[in-house]
Amino acid sequence: MSSVGNMNMKTSVCTVKDLEAAALSIRRNVLDMVSRLGRGYLQQGLGAADLFTMLFFDELQIDENDLYWPDRDRFILSTAHNSAVFYATLAERGFLDRGRLVEYTVDGSALEINVSERLAPLVEATCGSLGQGLSVGVGIALAARRRGLSSRVYVLLGDAEMQEGQVWEAAMSAASHKLDNLCLIVDINGMQAEGAMEDIVQIHPISEKWQAFGWHTISVDGHSYPSLRDAFKRARETSGYPTAIIAKTTVGKGVPFLEGTRSHNMYVTAEVADRARTFLQEVSS
Amino acid sequence: MNDLNLELDDFTSTGVTSNTDVPKYYGEALERISSERQEIVCLGVDLSVPTESDGFRDLFPDRFFMIGMAEANAIGIASGMAKMGDIPFVHSFSVFLTRRSYDQVAMQVAYPRSNVKLVGFLPGLTTNLGVSHQAIEDIALMRALPNMVVLEPSGPEQYEAAVRAVVDYSGPVYLRLRRSDSFANFRTTSNKFEVGGSEVLRDGEDAVIFASGIMVSKAMEASIQMHKAGIEVAVVNVYSLKPIDGEMIAKYGRKTKCIVTAENHTTIGGLGDAVAAELASQRILVGHKKVGLKDQFAEGGSIDYLNKKYNLEVEDIVNATREVLVRD
Repeated sequence: MSSVGNMNMKTSVCTVKDLEAAALSIRRNVLDMVSRLGRGYLQQGLGAADLFTMLFFDELQIDENDLYWPDRDRFILSTAHNSAVFYATLAERGFLDRGRLVEYTVDGSALEINVSERLAPLVEATCGSLGQGLSVGVGIALAARRRGLSSRVYVLLGDAEMQEGQVWEAAMSAASHKLDNLCLIVDINGMQAEGAMEDIVQIHPISEKWQAFGWHTISVDGHSYPSLRDAFKRARETSGYPTAIIAKTTVGKGVPFLEGTRSHNMYVTAEVADRARTFLQEVSS
Repeated sequence: MNDLNLELDDFTSTGVTSNTDVPKYYGEALERISSERQEIVCLGVDLSVPTESDGFRDLFPDRFFMIGMAEANAIGIASGMAKMGDIPFVHSFSVFLTRRSYDQVAMQVAYPRSNVKLVGFLPGLTTNLGVSHQAIEDIALMRALPNMVVLEPSGPEQYEAAVRAVVDYSGPVYLRLRRSDSFANFRTTSNKFEVGGSEVLRDGEDAVIFASGIMVSKAMEASIQMHKAGIEVAVVNVYSLKPIDGEMIAKYGRKTKCIVTAENHTTIGGLGDAVAAELASQRILVGHKKVGLKDQFAEGGSIDYLNKKYNLEVEDIVNATREVLVRD
């Protein structure tokens, strides 16, 4: 990984084993956070845990001693409701006090159900209203380039968000402005509020759509660390085009009896949580 | 250029003027200030000429970003740029920056207090292009957003000062403008343009007209007409619609017998309602008549026709003032 001269910056020293351990801990925290509520964004959190792990432990250039470092990479969570996994990742990475995870959705806490800029730093935009994150990413990427910053911009988009027209407005502008410092990750989990995406809006073929809009695309298994690492590297090496990493994920990943259950705001009883927890612990031993 | 006069339409034309005829008072002010302030960038949505940002585009090409016909996207992009320290100006017609992009303005500009400046043209009934292009409720929409500042200068005489105030203010601003080829025929204290300010243009004891935008010069004419008939009517240019100058409104609410508000906007949620709310909150009970578009959409048609039909004329202000004076 390219290294910029900042001693405090996270560089790619993680082994696959390190990443697996981090992801497991993140998943356990997501389960704890959502099960305390009895209902929430568990399935997509477990599904995206590997994407978050790769981004925050392997890819993003962030100075842990100066979270406002102007040259930092920016991460925008366009699916702002996938908040549990975001907070759990920040905590795992040391950017958020681990003890604060119990505040998740508690009245008065900045750890809101939809991630908002109240929690700043590292929340670069407030995206609970879906479809807006990529536009903000385009603006940051344009400004970073004009200022000659090394910053790259990463936007995590949900697959169902592609139903919002603004995503395609942003897609066209990113390609028109040749934003090779912009990297989109589309979390292909096939799920939206009312169920399976294919029953609601036909969105395929996805990769071809982004190509047609002028993007460099890479399709990967969103749970494979080597594939994701390679995809991010290829994105960094691409010039003249923004890159879209089309990452296929499985909702509920890591808990076999939850895998593939497409429930957007799932009820998580104590019994389900206890059973799920044993799977996550078993994997670690 | 060419004899056939094939310039791009400026959308403000009544068939008499073309782009080349209309001076760019706003655009030139923006260019002057932008040469001093390197953080200013401009975003275009395929309307550079009619929003007078083509000069900026040509002078500062590395600070001009054409986004195309995608206002919602442009708002998000501007917010991203503001996060990096830029002062983005987004230029379009008012309807597209407000009605069309409301959620994006709320979430990416107002909520995070982004230092984004929304500059909207074709306010109210100043275009023949019909309901799609006539911003009749934009002030109401923008006033309702927390953190949003809403400004409407009376005309080109205030544009330079307005742009300076907009740039000096750190935070979201909606600036409502009308292209015009002439300065006002009244003396303005335009160099004192302040967020939250207003200016008294005429004094009087019988009534006061609070006016904004194109209605200011009409209010002045109305006041002069009534002066000839022995009625002394003050005129206050309320160019800052949010925050609004509550002190000035209270002062004239107490000093005069009745008030008239005159706005190129519907009478719901705009200047008239803002003034009424100020007076009520300060327990000032005074007769009040609103001049503005009633609760209705207008239509395509010439500007003169529309202003007559929808009661935005000098005569309408005079009549409203006389009615409220008699009533009280």
